[in-house]
Amino acid sequence: MREAVTTRNLNYSYPDGTIALNNINITIQEGERVAIVGPNGAGKTTFLLHLNGILQNTDGEVKIFGKNVNEAEREDIIKNVGVVFQDPDDQLFMPTIFDDVAFGPMNLELNENEVRRRVKNSLTRLGLTGYDERCSHHLSYGEKKRASLAAVISMEPRILVLDEPTANLDPKSRAELIKIINELNRDGVTIIITTHDINAVPELVDRVYVLNRTIIAEGIIREIFSDAKLLKENHLEVPEVFKLFEVLKCFGYNCEELPLSINEAIENLTKTIGTNGGHIHLHIHEHTHEETEKVKHKYRYDHH
Amino acid sequence: MLDYPRIDRFAYLNSMIHRFDPRAKIIAFLFLIFSIVGLSEVKFALVGLLASIFFLVLSRLPLRFALRHIKWVSLFIIPFFIIMPFTMEGTEICTIHGLKVTYEGVEYGVLITLRALSAVILILPMIATTRFEETIKALERLRVPSIMVQMLMFTYRYIFVFGEEWERMWRAIESRGFRLRTTLYALRTMGRAMGMLFVKSYERSERVYNAMRSRGYTGHQRTLAEFNLQKSDLVLSALIISLGIILHIIQGVA
Repeated sequence: MREAVTTRNLNYSYPDGTIALNNINITIQEGERVAIVGPNGAGKTTFLLHLNGILQNTDGEVKIFGKNVNEAEREDIIKNVGVVFQDPDDQLFMPTIFDDVAFGPMNLELNENEVRRRVKNSLTRLGLTGYDERCSHHLSYGEKKRASLAAVISMEPRILVLDEPTANLDPKSRAELIKIINELNRDGVTIIITTHDINAVPELVDRVYVLNRTIIAEGIIREIFSDAKLLKENHLEVPEVFKLFEVLKCFGYNCEELPLSINEAIENLTKTIGTNGGHIHLHIHEHTHEETEKVKHKYRYDHH
Repeated sequence: MLDYPRIDRFAYLNSMIHRFDPRAKIIAFLFLIFSIVGLSEVKFALVGLLASIFFLVLSRLPLRFALRHIKWVSLFIIPFFIIMPFTMEGTEICTIHGLKVTYEGVEYGVLITLRALSAVILILPMIATTRFEETIKALERLRVPSIMVQMLMFTYRYIFVFGEEWERMWRAIESRGFRLRTTLYALRTMGRAMGMLFVKSYERSERVYNAMRSRGYTGHQRTLAEFNLQKSDLVLSALIISLGIILHIIQGVA
């Protein structure tokens, strides 16, 4: 396995001197799925802009497949790292969807047949067949979002960077987009996302970086979600299912690993009920009230 | 949603002019426009106007749509039509409130009006019968400088986005009780809101530019387009261009 993205001592300050990124060290292996989470204004987008050299920075090092972003040919980086920005209106700037999806491949100076093949493939993959001549302005937000992803995957990047991919999407569009991102990952594409959509984290990634100007923590999802203090300090949350099983524990449910998603919950319940002779027993014991209050307190932001 | 005054609203219709290759269409009609604008006699300009109307009819664009566009431009033509008769030296026809109306002035006023109207009318079969993005691509193929094509393209893409941004802002302003009056306060609020729109646009332009660079933009840009010049396109262009030339030849002889 190769290192897809490596950053070493990366620092970045805004023109007014505010520190945006402070000593960022990250290593992401090829084919990994990684989320970068953190509060608003933590520098997540700023960090993403470093990954394909949009923000060039000599204070620190960003390497893509071992090549330094500042020194490599620009085209080499662009070809490997596709960035999907948050607002599709920023991403779709050409007159028609076809032109937008063809924009990247054209800049890579591929021949016309290859450009057309890639446009067709990308549109098919995103379920946008027949959208070629549509103007992005007339599409729904969900369609725009898919079109912006099509416009990036037409460059066939090995690393896909998505800034808040699920934000503002309706549940159906959200589910479709998650499915497509995971399909791309199965084809070997490394996925890096930023998100506030904590329920999407277990579905989309395996590993999490908590970023708040600097890397606060790193680990597999369960580790990060189990650290209540870390979550609170960085304005984060855990999925509702995770909380529910914590509550169940207060009522005597025996659970080693808290489930992160509905699927895991079903698995967990099935297993527990199976090993307990076909049923589970919940009851109120002397500490139940105290423990549920603790769980409630643990995830509350509306009081101090 | 705003009701956008889209110039290519009727580009989906089917007519001889709609089927005309966009590149040939632009060249032929532009030639005719310049030719008619260059005419110096009223009777020939009148022929030019009739020809323009003929092409408009041929394009099957709805009359209401055409009139709506012509109406606004006419507002700029009318002042010439009114001012010219009073300001040119020449043979006096009559006097209105002590102002001399001259024959030459009337003639020149009519000439300017005819030429301008013809040009405005011809713009419609030229632009309104092609989807705007096709027109842009045609311009690109005609080797119009890339920077101009790109400016046109981005204007077309983002004018709607900014329009909606303004609409959203205005709705927010109004829902907090603001009513537009001719007070200094109201004007100042309007001014600030417009300022905000500029700031937002500037910030968006930066994000768009980042997105463009992320996909390998270096300042040059090409698009793919399938234009297919048919024999009928050549014939139609030849006819339109000859019309422009013939008008000048006859005017020169007569």
